[in-house]
Amino acid sequence: MTASELYYLFTLAVYAGVDGMACIGLNLQFGVAGLVNFGFIIFQAAGAYAAAVLSMPPANGGFQQYVLGLRLPFPLPWLGGAVAGGLLAVPIGLLVLRRLRTDYQAISLLVLSVIANLVITNARPFLNGAAGLSLVPPPLTGLVDTTTAGYQWLYIVLTAFCLAIVLLAANRIVNSPYGRTLRAMREREPAAAALGKDLVRLKMETFVLGGVIAGLSGAILVGFIGVWAPATWLYPETIVLFAALIVGGRGNNLGALLGALLVPVGFEEATRFIPEFGPPGFIPAMQWVAIGLLIIGFLWFRPRGLLPEPRRVFAESPARGGAARVEETPRPGARGIASAVPSTPLLRADDVARRFEGLRAVDGVSLDVSPGRITGLIGPNGAGKSTLLAVLAGTLPASAGRILMDGEEVTRFPAYQRARRGLVRTFQLSSEFAQLTVLENLLVAAPAHPGDSFLGALRGKPYWWADELRLVERARELLARFRMSAAESEYAGNLSGGQKRLVEIMRALMLMPRVLLLDEPMAGVHPSIVGEIASFLEALREDGLAILMVEHELSMVERLCDPVIVMAQGQVIGRGSLSALRRQRTIVEAYLAG
Amino acid sequence: MSLYAAAAGFGLVSASVIAIAAVGFTMQFGITNLINLAYGGIMITAAFVAYGVNRAGFSIWTGLAVAAAGGAVASLALHRVLYAPFLRRGTSHIGMVIVSLAAALMLSNVLLALVGYDNVSYVVADEAAVTAGGLILTRVQVVVIGIAVAAMLAIHALLTFTRLGKAMRATATNPTLARNCGIPTGRIIDAVWLITGALCGAAGTVAAIDSASFGVANGSTYLIVILAAAVLGGAGQPYGAMLGAVLIGEITELSAAVLSPQYKSVVAFAILVVVMILRPQGLLSKIGALGPAG
Repeated sequence: MTASELYYLFTLAVYAGVDGMACIGLNLQFGVAGLVNFGFIIFQAAGAYAAAVLSMPPANGGFQQYVLGLRLPFPLPWLGGAVAGGLLAVPIGLLVLRRLRTDYQAISLLVLSVIANLVITNARPFLNGAAGLSLVPPPLTGLVDTTTAGYQWLYIVLTAFCLAIVLLAANRIVNSPYGRTLRAMREREPAAAALGKDLVRLKMETFVLGGVIAGLSGAILVGFIGVWAPATWLYPETIVLFAALIVGGRGNNLGALLGALLVPVGFEEATRFIPEFGPPGFIPAMQWVAIGLLIIGFLWFRPRGLLPEPRRVFAESPARGGAARVEETPRPGARGIASAVPSTPLLRADDVARRFEGLRAVDGVSLDVSPGRITGLIGPNGAGKSTLLAVLAGTLPASAGRILMDGEEVTRFPAYQRARRGLVRTFQLSSEFAQLTVLENLLVAAPAHPGDSFLGALRGKPYWWADELRLVERARELLARFRMSAAESEYAGNLSGGQKRLVEIMRALMLMPRVLLLDEPMAGVHPSIVGEIASFLEALREDGLAILMVEHELSMVERLCDPVIVMAQGQVIGRGSLSALRRQRTIVEAYLAG
Repeated sequence: MSLYAAAAGFGLVSASVIAIAAVGFTMQFGITNLINLAYGGIMITAAFVAYGVNRAGFSIWTGLAVAAAGGAVASLALHRVLYAPFLRRGTSHIGMVIVSLAAALMLSNVLLALVGYDNVSYVVADEAAVTAGGLILTRVQVVVIGIAVAAMLAIHALLTFTRLGKAMRATATNPTLARNCGIPTGRIIDAVWLITGALCGAAGTVAAIDSASFGVANGSTYLIVILAAAVLGGAGQPYGAMLGAVLIGEITELSAAVLSPQYKSVVAFAILVVVMILRPQGLLSKIGALGPAG
């Protein structure tokens, strides 16, 4: 093998490591958490620039202009690169991730990627403008001879070491309860928020972690190639990484690695061997066309990639002494009994209103939801029942009025904070986490799981496994009660409509709520299960849970609900027992006719 | 004749160009609920079609008409061949954004392979200056402004007075309900792609007329400016896009006069960023960017 062939292979190995890292970082953001970071490449650029100016000597009127020039020894420039990527993610994340819709986030990040490149290209004194930085000293310059093959081997080992750390951390996150929460957020944000998940925090953590990984990959790359310029980080480079994930399998770290080997490394390198033909620039252009075809082709024929995200199946029975030990787990709602004095309402709405561009969906509603009762909420379609539930739970902000939970005003609290205080809702339309199994859907909701935090996840499985086993048992008890045990490892998205409702109710119960807001919990459920749900709700009522339930089936309202509140056109038009309401003509005309 | 008056005049021309493009883009998004990132690619392709017509000896205005027709056909084809099948499969919003980004990449690179990297320019016959109210513009620039005003009035009339426009608005608000009311939403959507595609093709040509020379790389620049104008005004809102176009056009040209021309797009984007912080739904929209996507 000639020296140049050997050097080519070394280069390929380093690129594989760098692209592998970048793909894992993007996989955490896009594949796992669902953040479509079309600006990913600027975080790699930040790491590369930071590592360059940290390791280069002061500029002092040389042929290049740049800031810093600290001549820091290895490994500080690499660490600095990782930090720079993470730091850049903070302001951008705060700008983009807090309020914008997902597709807007993607577009904003794309625009930011282009602007950042424009600014760096035009602002020469900062990072030498369009010409970029060159003569970036390789790590350990001065200590070892950086021109030998031995040094190349060392570089590959260092790259592989960083890749291993990144992969380890990413695997811990993906396989942890925290990773499960990220996937739940990816599947359905409002439902995750209604289960007490702080979406902004989750997104920021993922964004910063991805930034750190991208920054590190940039630092490693610039140390090897020694140059870095705006032309190396144009926005289409991010698209290549997306193509890699789509081909390899998003949501799967190994898929991300495979994608990195196939697309940026394999695909772009393979085309070097095509003999030059056509006008200059023809082959690179066709390469981009092929990247586009790869994306579209895979999305059409194999949307989940070559190595799809694995379905997580829990062992049949946790390693315990057989069936001997049947633990009496606390019944859902048990938390409520101790604190609530039965007569005082737990949830109170005070003149609450919600307007949509002039339409008064909820128009000054006051109501109490007391523990130990199921309060029914009925009314014709469009009366504002579901909107009221959304406002009470914080899914929609109230336009006016006050909402009190256990005496504390929660009107301005986001949904997740209300959920953490024990105020939990279900949705009228199915809102399962489709690509999580039924069991995982339940586990996501468990509050205060030690593995359901960024740091908890990084500490690894031993830190949270005992709690996980306990929760799996609790979830399995619920599944058995609702006769869903057989479907435990099915993807929730593949269930029937009625089964999805059950999953949603069980999920809410996993949270051990004090106030439960149910939006048509029996709609579409098999009749044999309806009775089961009803008796379960009765049991919850006896436990002291406060329940507000929207329901159309009047026989069920009659059996379960007292008091009943009737809404029409955004207002409460009657309340009391159903039998008393039946005697009021106005209400019968508005709703109960027949 | 101050520098600023001249800049304001250029700003008016830029605003006209951006307005034609941004209104088309935002209507696609508002009615079909799809962010078509291949829009910039179709614009620049249309500009090259007009270049071909122009080079064959026809006037640039003939080229403009051909480019508008080409843009309409290309947009409809893109919808029918690529987007509609993915939509029928229930691809998510964000999946569609990725598909359209891939389409954009393919389109501009096929064009690149065909026409190469060199910049070209149109042959425009008449460069006589027109003076009006302290502004000095060329005849061509006045025509560009005229085209933009006519296009905006036509869009306004379409949406307000015609059955087609009303059906478009109904489809935008609630496609299922519109279908149940007897509106043939499939044909309405086709019409949207044709009309906005024509705007896209025309916009690509006037943008190329407005710049001294142009190349394939301009496509992505156009797209970014259009995104800025559309988001600034409130995405999906045609009148918002007009407002956004005027703001972006004037701000870029005036800041070029005050600061340095290098930073003109940076300034426009800085304003976009501020708007995203303070009013993420855009200037003229109440919901827009907020809330979960479908």
